[in-house]
Amino acid sequence: MRRVAIIGTGQTDYASNRSDASQPELVREAAKAAIADAGLRPQQIDAMLISNMELFEGRALPELWLGEAAFAAGKPCLKVATGGTSGTSACIAGFHQVASGLFDVVLVVGLEKHSEGQTQTGMALTDPFWDRAVAAGALGNFALSISQYMAARGVTERQAAMVAVKARRNAARNPHAHLKMPALTVDEVLGSRPLAHPVRLLDMCPQSDGACAIVIAAEEPARRLCPRPAWIKASATRHEQPYIGDIDRRLVTMRTLRDAARNAYARAGIRDPLHDFDVAEIYEPVSYAELAWYEALGFCGDGEAGRLIEDGVTTMDGELPVNPSGGVLSSNPVGASGVIRVAEAALQIHGRGGERQVDGVRTALATGYGVYAWADVVVLGAQP
Amino acid sequence: MNEAILVPIEMAVTWRYASGAAMERFCSGLMERRIEALRCGVCRRSYLPPRPICGNCHAPLSEWVSVADEGRLEAWTVLQVPMLDARTGDMREAPYGMGLIQLDGADTTINHYLAESDPARLSIGLRVRAVWRPEPRGAMDDIVHFEVLR
Amino acid sequence: MIREGAIRIPFKYAAGRAGSRFLVALRDGMRIIASRCETCARVAVPLRTFCPACGGDDLAEVEVGPGGTILAWTETPDAGSYALVRLDGADTAFLHRLVAAPAGCRIGHRVRVRFASSRRASILDIDGFEPVTGEAR
Repeated sequence: MRRVAIIGTGQTDYASNRSDASQPELVREAAKAAIADAGLRPQQIDAMLISNMELFEGRALPELWLGEAAFAAGKPCLKVATGGTSGTSACIAGFHQVASGLFDVVLVVGLEKHSEGQTQTGMALTDPFWDRAVAAGALGNFALSISQYMAARGVTERQAAMVAVKARRNAARNPHAHLKMPALTVDEVLGSRPLAHPVRLLDMCPQSDGACAIVIAAEEPARRLCPRPAWIKASATRHEQPYIGDIDRRLVTMRTLRDAARNAYARAGIRDPLHDFDVAEIYEPVSYAELAWYEALGFCGDGEAGRLIEDGVTTMDGELPVNPSGGVLSSNPVGASGVIRVAEAALQIHGRGGERQVDGVRTALATGYGVYAWADVVVLGAQP
Repeated sequence: MNEAILVPIEMAVTWRYASGAAMERFCSGLMERRIEALRCGVCRRSYLPPRPICGNCHAPLSEWVSVADEGRLEAWTVLQVPMLDARTGDMREAPYGMGLIQLDGADTTINHYLAESDPARLSIGLRVRAVWRPEPRGAMDDIVHFEVLR
Repeated sequence: MIREGAIRIPFKYAAGRAGSRFLVALRDGMRIIASRCETCARVAVPLRTFCPACGGDDLAEVEVGPGGTILAWTETPDAGSYALVRLDGADTAFLHRLVAAPAGCRIGHRVRVRFASSRRASILDIDGFEPVTGEAR
């Protein structure tokens, strides 16, 4: 396999309603910014990958309606779909296209415009013989899994609220973020509107409009074009059985994320994740999930995640800052969210994170999450 | 920025889904208030919903086992905001309880409504039993909800 | 066993920067506006934010039509007749209804846009294309 690096990133601003721009216009904005960031012209991109949850917008063939905006007319253009993981999966597919020697430079773009359609419809049109009898939504399914996770690990509502506060305070330093709340407190999270016991409004991600793109390159163009390429050390993706009741699809076990992490860490030489990583961008659609991911990703032992957040280990000045961007809890255009995780991790290696830059990042982690049934792990490094 | 034009469209969508043989047998059982799971001959897990192949062992499933209409509450929540009912497109009014229930004889859990919607009266480990609609039609909503056995 | 399902889903799409300008020009001025690429000179209708031919975004706004030439057409039993029309001044084809009966309709025939009397910034602010008699290309 050839060496592969991320050499450019581009993001729109994320907001609850970007009615100023059409879907292709948002894609264009992110794609153009990423290509310019990489020091390239659109003609120099070999292939495009697209990530979008089309049922949210009720528009068939997003790869058709968005491809041209991503400069894909006349080029190879594919959509990659793995639920919420789609964005990270599209990035991983792009890594493989370049690592294999198939292409030298690939653009990945993710888009979502929740404001245009019905996110709940997109989540609810599942197995018609089984799941549709129960109106649960992503929210209800998270809440069920959270009740088990709290019982198994002793995590508290206050510890989860601390995750929500960290995310929105970090987001205040990210110009692209949707929910910027520099003064948010734990008590405000605990006092926010109950949605599904024990999940409150401020425990949940928003529904955002926006697009994010990255440029992936082989070693030769990467070294020529980028002063500090973000090299792909390893990536892994895992799928799981389909139903929420299938026993391993839970926050407690999270077999997908544990397996993907073990696999990627082994190939990237990560032995002690908490110390070996300098920053992490993880896909946490609800505050409690971040705590569960700390355990699944090996930042701490099972049952120690609550203490990790209480000790401030994952804040901006902690030992391992998690989600300097504000994470999914602060911006969630679903089809783009996985791309954002990878882009933000790469940005930290590029050393161009602005006010959200962590000092001296040499090794970074990005993850994706898709309805418990997919998990993606990407390890980036300052050296190939 | 000039005037931003929004184009509203309401789409009516219809579907016709084929159940497959395993789900057909399961749904036929529901009409007689009977719940049956398919057991894997390799790992011995009994699956609900029944499906043709064990995802873990890749073994074809053919051994039907009877499952009780009561079991143990493994996870629960109370929805406090309306959620979309995908059978109709309408919102289901809150609050309402939901749980993951491990029926006696099954190794996976089923996701269903709970009669109880007071968080203070719900906990993991409670025994629950199905409340059936008077005239079952062969679908998961033949079970109205699960009531807590106290 | 067959299970039937039915659901109604509301959507609200943003026409975006170029799309909004195009629809507002239809509504307020009965004008059809297009983009002319300053790089490759291609004129695309409706108005774009970037050139569909070369990808460039140095675009000028120009008016095209309302006359045009039929490039292709069809007649359906239930939904009327449709045509792809190259509007005068444009390099791309525009799809809309043929509002007049297509008896004797031919590729190359001249047509003209007929605007709706009541307009609300929609593509249906155009009723469709009607034939122009005594004019040929």
